Amino acid sequence: MHELDDESLRAVMPRLRRFAQSLCGDASSADDLVQAALERALRRWSSRRDADALQPWLFAIVYRQFVDTRRRAQRWQRVLALFAPQQPTQAPSAEQVHEGRALLAAFAQLPAEQRALLLLVSVEGFSYRDAATALDLPIGTVMSRLSRAREKLRQIGEGRSGAGPALRVLK
Amino acid sequence: MTVFRPDDETLHAYVDGRLDPAQRAQVAAWLQARPAEAARVAGWKQDADALRAAWAGAEALPANPALSASALRRRVRQRRRTLAGMAASCVLMLGLGTGLGWQLRDSRLGGERLPMADAVAAYRLFADGEQPLEFDPARRTDLQGWLRTHFGAAGAVPDLQAQGFALRGGRLLSTPEGAAAMLVYQDASGARIGLYLRPGSSRLHEGERRDGRLLAQYWSEGGTAFALVGPATQTRMRQIAPLLRGQG
Repeated sequence: MHELDDESLRAVMPRLRRFAQSLCGDASSADDLVQAALERALRRWSSRRDADALQPWLFAIVYRQFVDTRRRAQRWQRVLALFAPQQPTQAPSAEQVHEGRALLAAFAQLPAEQRALLLLVSVEGFSYRDAATALDLPIGTVMSRLSRAREKLRQIGEGRSGAGPALRVLK
Repeated sequence: MTVFRPDDETLHAYVDGRLDPAQRAQVAAWLQARPAEAARVAGWKQDADALRAAWAGAEALPANPALSASALRRRVRQRRRTLAGMAASCVLMLGLGTGLGWQLRDSRLGGERLPMADAVAAYRLFADGEQPLEFDPARRTDLQGWLRTHFGAAGAVPDLQAQGFALRGGRLLSTPEGAAAMLVYQDASGARIGLYLRPGSSRLHEGERRDGRLLAQYWSEGGTAFALVGPATQTRMRQIAPLLRGQG
């Protein structure tokens, strides 16, 4: 049985934090997410035996924690909305889009599911199979979602520079 | 040679470097002849590189002590302890509740908070004060029979003449434990003491207690609880109680 030792935790930690940031948007809630996820991981470790699957599994726990938290937050938002119908939306501001890190701003506009997949595949270099494990998706869904995410990121980027063909937007 | 037409999946795998060398060369050749497709794929590749660059430097994230392995493990342990503590306190609460409930049930059934409080109450009701006791000595036999029926050997009517007390009355009562009797004795000066007997509750120990100006000495023998109740000034009761106990 493989131990979830301090060394492998330390090694994977920066990457988990980055993944969480790509999901949450800001660093402090990303760290909260990683903390909650890893405490969950440590509690459940005894039930894990497969050392090879360690990394996708840790990313999967972070992702699941994110999805759960967001679902709870959305439920809460719905409750709040009953009392305060004019909730400000969470869309990134125009300033954000036009400041230097334009690509990240475009990335931030993608749905969280697409952000997670792009980060795992493009930044973390996960194989499609590991990404499927981490996001708990069938491999076919990973491929179609990857395709959609990349098209969308292009689209937002091209829309920003004003060079995008109108036909694609209509799709 | 068949016409090669890579699907989107293959193109993405090309971007991500997931193709084997032969496939990669094939796709590269295919793209070379198609500028539109090549531009599309180049866009993906460019975005992927830009993303990688934008998210680079994960190692340079400011350290967060809350995320150190030791801090994480400590909190997991704490949480386990908290959960264990909560579980333990649930068990404890359940135990306390059960225990209290059981005691309450006992004290309800026993009808007493103080030992033999019913004996003292019976004394106050029937023997205390100056009111004359109506007791036909001829009924003594009936009383004896009734006591025998309910208390067996313990139901003897003690003779306290030697101690200066004569039987002057008897009352039959009903208590939650069952039938009870109060035998009232009086001496020449008019002082009254009462011997009370009823089926005992299991928790009755020997002892005595003061209740106002009354003294109750109590004990149990077999299944029967006894109490000798009288004014605390009647020091002779202290000699009588051991005698009665010996008789039972």
